[in-house]
Amino acid sequence: MARDRTSPEEFTRPLRRILVGGLVFLLLALFFLWRIDSPRVERFRSALVDRVVPSFSWAMLPITKAAEMVEDFQSYTRIYEQNQELRRELQQMKAWREAALQLEQKNARLLDLNQVRLDPKLTHVTGVVLADSGSPFRQSVLLNVGARDGIRDGWATMDGIGLVGRISGVGQTTSRVILLTDSNSRIPVTVQPSGQKALLSGDNTSAPPLEFLEKQDLVRPGDRVISSGDGGVFPAGLLVGQVALGVDGRLRVRLAADYERLEFLRVLRSHESAVISEPGALIPPPVPPVAPEQQPEAEANPTPEGGAGG
Amino acid sequence: MADSASSTVWGYRGLYVLIAVALLFLRLLPLGSESGSWPGPNLLCAMTFAWVLRRPDYVPPLLIAMVVLLEDMLTMRPPGLWAAVVVVAAEFLRARAALTREVSFVLEWLIVGIVMAASVLAYRLILSLVMLPQVSMAQTVIQLALTILSYPVVVAVSRLALGVRKPATGEVDAYGRRL
Repeated sequence: MARDRTSPEEFTRPLRRILVGGLVFLLLALFFLWRIDSPRVERFRSALVDRVVPSFSWAMLPITKAAEMVEDFQSYTRIYEQNQELRRELQQMKAWREAALQLEQKNARLLDLNQVRLDPKLTHVTGVVLADSGSPFRQSVLLNVGARDGIRDGWATMDGIGLVGRISGVGQTTSRVILLTDSNSRIPVTVQPSGQKALLSGDNTSAPPLEFLEKQDLVRPGDRVISSGDGGVFPAGLLVGQVALGVDGRLRVRLAADYERLEFLRVLRSHESAVISEPGALIPPPVPPVAPEQQPEAEANPTPEGGAGG
Repeated sequence: MADSASSTVWGYRGLYVLIAVALLFLRLLPLGSESGSWPGPNLLCAMTFAWVLRRPDYVPPLLIAMVVLLEDMLTMRPPGLWAAVVVVAAEFLRARAALTREVSFVLEWLIVGIVMAASVLAYRLILSLVMLPQVSMAQTVIQLALTILSYPVVVAVSRLALGVRKPATGEVDAYGRRL
């Protein structure tokens, strides 16, 4: 109160009021100018931003980077939670993968019902399983198709999904199929996706083991096993099953074919590949078909040497 | 003596601009400005009011107008309006700087809070009068509350770190006048 009496401010105060009023008036005028003629003022504003903001950039860049580093560091502390989250997601993905595989099998069954021919070279004869002559020592079934239908020894048989076995013994109207689980069955297979070749050798269990794997490290449980076609026994690329780790620690194959319900089997007509016998003649004349040397009594007694272990 | 006091005043004016630019700089940093997050306190407003009540000569109206206008321009607000509102509010507080020397800080805080609320209200009122789109009321209220809450912090920092305190009794300025 009293201080203003003696100060020169007393005389400058009206002037000051006018100046501040003018300042406020100018600011408000700018605002209303902007409101009325926005583009012009916005151009001025963008020019101002163009001048001011880039001059900050030398300081903005390190601070931004530093903040990003701090954020990255914070993400390290969340790594455990992330791990848990990823595990959960992986679990869900596994469920989806299982669903996809089941859909694949279902699709194969439906394609089979529609008799879609996947490979024109692979025609097939479908036979009905007459008898399941399975014993603890011999795993085989009898089909109601035989030499009369053109069946030959060694042809592959499948159910709708996967490989079941091969023809071993053809009668006039019946033929015997040695299943992959039989202890006499040896099938060359390829493990995908690693492409490892192996031999699937039956041992009378429901999941035959893989033998002669080159690198076991490359094969994991869950890999797909398909026939490799090595040796010309089987056509390549037939689905056999999935790799599983047995209780004994060996890599075994869970077969894709439904061995519980073998009703209809397809016998795939394999065509003999050209045999190269001598170096000079790469393309030989067609080989006359080899007559099946199996005795016709195979249908009567399918298990001649059954008691290998008994 | 006079030169050093005058240079002190100019130093604080430069400091004011520097802090304002730093605050603006922090606002402009491309960090975490996702939409929907809470608005931060308007620290520039709080600092202006705190300094006006302590050392009115450190923040002349022209300086306030230029700094806030720059903020208006760079933060894409309607240019000039908030600057005008802040200048008027600062003048209002400047006229009562002598009064707040005699009351407790809580009362000063109350006065500043009321002035801030009135400023925001006037700002929104003018915006709605000229039919401009505005931010939602809830966000404005949150920002106002945060600004009022940050006022003691701003005062403490100004006083302890920067040395902007109310003139003591009998302190004189460069011309020997009592403050």
